[in-house]
Amino acid sequence: MANLRIVNLTKRFSEVLAVDNISLEVADGEFVTLLGPSGCGKTTTLRTIAGFCYPDEGEIFFGDKIMNNISPNKRNTAMCFQSYALFPHMSVWNNISFGLKMQKISQQEQKKRVSKVMGMLGIEGLEKRKPGELSGGQQQRVALARAIVTEPQVLLFDEPLSNLDAKLRVQVRVEIREMQKRLGITTIYVTHDQDEALAISDRIVVMNRGHIEQLGDPYTIYRNPETSFVAGFIGLANIYEGTIVARDGSRYTVEAPFGKVVIVSDGQKIPEASKTVKFVWRPEDMKIYTQGAPNRVKGKILQAVFMGNITDIFMDVQGNKMRAQIDESRKLITGDVIEFSIPEDAFSILRR
Amino acid sequence: MASTDSKVKIPLHLIQARRMRHFYLLLMIFFMIVLILWVGIPILMTVMWSLVDPKNPWSYPNVFPPSFSLAQWKYVFDYTDIRRALRTSYSLAPLSVLLSLVLSLPTSYVLGRKKIPGKKLLMLVVLLPIIIPGMVVALSLSRVFYAFGLSQTFFGLVLAHTLMSIPYMIRVMTTSFQAIPQDVIDAAENLGANTFVKIRDIFLPMIRPGLLAGMIFAFTVSIEEFNLTFIIGTPTLMTIPTILYTFLGYNFIRTNASVVALLMMTPNIIMLFIAERFLKSDYLAASLGKM
Amino acid sequence: MKEKEISPIDILMLLSGVGFILLFIGFAIFLTLFQSFGLFSITRKSAFTLENWKAVLQAKEPMDSLFFSLKMGLLSSIGTVVVAFPIALFFRKGGTGKGILGSIIKVPLFIPALVAAFLILNLIAYHGLVNTTLMLLNLIHEPLRMLNDKFGWGVVFIQIWKNLPFVLLIVMASLAAIRDDTIDAAKNLGAGYWSVFFRMYVPLAMPGILVSMILMFIRAFGDFPITSVAGPIYPASMAVRMHIMATVFQEWDQAAVLGVIIIVTTFMVIWAYSRLAEFVKREV
Repeated sequence: MANLRIVNLTKRFSEVLAVDNISLEVADGEFVTLLGPSGCGKTTTLRTIAGFCYPDEGEIFFGDKIMNNISPNKRNTAMCFQSYALFPHMSVWNNISFGLKMQKISQQEQKKRVSKVMGMLGIEGLEKRKPGELSGGQQQRVALARAIVTEPQVLLFDEPLSNLDAKLRVQVRVEIREMQKRLGITTIYVTHDQDEALAISDRIVVMNRGHIEQLGDPYTIYRNPETSFVAGFIGLANIYEGTIVARDGSRYTVEAPFGKVVIVSDGQKIPEASKTVKFVWRPEDMKIYTQGAPNRVKGKILQAVFMGNITDIFMDVQGNKMRAQIDESRKLITGDVIEFSIPEDAFSILRR
Repeated sequence: MASTDSKVKIPLHLIQARRMRHFYLLLMIFFMIVLILWVGIPILMTVMWSLVDPKNPWSYPNVFPPSFSLAQWKYVFDYTDIRRALRTSYSLAPLSVLLSLVLSLPTSYVLGRKKIPGKKLLMLVVLLPIIIPGMVVALSLSRVFYAFGLSQTFFGLVLAHTLMSIPYMIRVMTTSFQAIPQDVIDAAENLGANTFVKIRDIFLPMIRPGLLAGMIFAFTVSIEEFNLTFIIGTPTLMTIPTILYTFLGYNFIRTNASVVALLMMTPNIIMLFIAERFLKSDYLAASLGKM
Repeated sequence: MKEKEISPIDILMLLSGVGFILLFIGFAIFLTLFQSFGLFSITRKSAFTLENWKAVLQAKEPMDSLFFSLKMGLLSSIGTVVVAFPIALFFRKGGTGKGILGSIIKVPLFIPALVAAFLILNLIAYHGLVNTTLMLLNLIHEPLRMLNDKFGWGVVFIQIWKNLPFVLLIVMASLAAIRDDTIDAAKNLGAGYWSVFFRMYVPLAMPGILVSMILMFIRAFGDFPITSVAGPIYPASMAVRMHIMATVFQEWDQAAVLGVIIIVTTFMVIWAYSRLAEFVKREV
């Protein structure tokens, strides 16, 4: 099972540029998620890998082989659709064995593999049923079984969990990840749900309007977002722009609209010439001010939402809106004045 | 297969892609041409035959008539019963449409909105006039009509045409009535609408597309109706289809037949193109397809 | 949609349409039935008899007609569906020109059967365009007899020409119900063109295919105008024979027998269809 390479992929639909010069390399056995809002190009990219979409520019490589002109049925990919796309006129068994039948695999081998996969996914006993007689969760598993039983080179998921209820979603996504790890198949997963992406991916590709905003493992994406889009799309964010008044190695003193802050950025370099910097930090990183803590910020509470384990605070800091989340149960009301501290390394520098 | 020079490798798959695109384009064009010929040639032939100059008869091996003239058209209008047939056809049609409308509306309302045991059977009964082959209905009905003095009468033909159009009317109208959401009616009642208002302001507007579709169907059915009209009406009453039939029988005059054929076809085609613009073909499929 | 309960007024309303149909069709069917057994006869003294049935079933000519009509029904329905299905698949994808193309292909739908018969007649007649062209191209040396031919090919061709749009519409509606995802999934799992055709499109469109075949069979089986214009002199189709029996030979009772056979065959075909539809739903 070789790796997957997307090189300068561009795809237009009439006037709209759906995918804008995307390049990506996926290692063997890696679980990569394409994450983004609707219309960002993630599904188009996925369909291009599957062969349903023909690139306007760029190439798709499976290992060394260029796949552009190879029709979907000749590619060694298997896709799980959002709607499951089970064959309504066939039994569960025939659905799952379909891919094997197409590969002209012997009846015995078919029987072996299908039974094994059904066991893996806990859907034994459903062999003779028709898709119309199954629950959403069962249909999902049949769709998954149908894909993995063919032992593809690349496994593709197109928002497979969006039609399931929340609880089932969390359960099934873990199962998918476990399964993938066990089988070691290279996987491309498309979703707009950031929790899902963070929970199960080796790497996340955050996409917006056809291009890649940022690429990286979940931890890096979350802690060190590089653009305001990524910062805002995943998790909560306070985003500001300020002037650099002093530099000391990787310590920057920045004059922000709400006051002075000291930012320690290691890894993210700000060019010497830059006068201003755009930065972000997460509301949950703000701590109630204690004596000597860095980056003191005083705000007037606009709204404090008590959510049980955390309190979500919307405040006004010298005319600027700011959000904080604390994990204490404090009774706070609108109008209260509260002081916070922001750790110096909680910040991330944004490129744009 | 390692790619050494990317500039040389890449164009190949693009060339392949372009070839495929060209191939499909050619296939499409070929298909379109075949289609146009399939439909166009028979019609074109008939048009040409109707325009044959009697002084220069058209026969093998000419592919086209040697010269054109409107003589045939003049002949048919002046010397045959075509005027009478046209009058009969176009007065039968509106009447039978009206009658089938009046008879179909109540039935469609009940079939579309009420719970009835044996609805499936009833729908089948509704289809009987079109299921049972026309000539069978024509011959047996002609005896019945004869017994009641309806044979060779205008009214008899109206009844016959109505019988053949009601099935289409009912099917289309039932679908229309079914499609009205109960919520809308409930809301109207809740706001104080009585039966008259309900009919005028809710039902009629909402079934209008279906109504129009049904009426156009019924009209076309009447204009085209042959079997019953032939048995019950001939020779006293002639419609365009029956007069065409006489031109196809023993006195087969191709040119006359061509004129009448065109007379029959053209209003139909125009009318139904108009219908297509206003209505979705869902109605056609719905009324013809669901059994 | 919540359906309301039925009331006596509703029954009356039903009667206007359904009653009208039942009245006339009922009369027609029962009269045909009774007359076939010699009752209510108009040409002879009314008496129950099996003479008419014997006369028809034991003679060669009526049986030849029956066989001919069945043949027409079968060939027309199969032929039209076979031609229509690929076209329907082609139209499924949508795209440029399909709008106009769609309108063009619907034209025969609006042309009455008799006119259609005449139009095609012009083409396939002994000295018609097809023969002329084929001879000019030196593909044949003598004109082909495509009209009034003993087998009935002329009739089959006309039936296909006239009814193609009708079947096309029904099949297209059936195909439209197939989700693109389902087809994509099949391709994704390795199904090539023919596999997709036979394992996906055909089974999933089967309801539409069956319906149109039934309707076509009935039309072609019981047809009068097209067969009388373009069909062979012998054997006549059932409807043509019935007509001749009744109006030319004045043998109304025997004509009634033919009528009953036509009606019974029609209903048997419909019954067979509903059984087949059930079977198809359960299988695959």
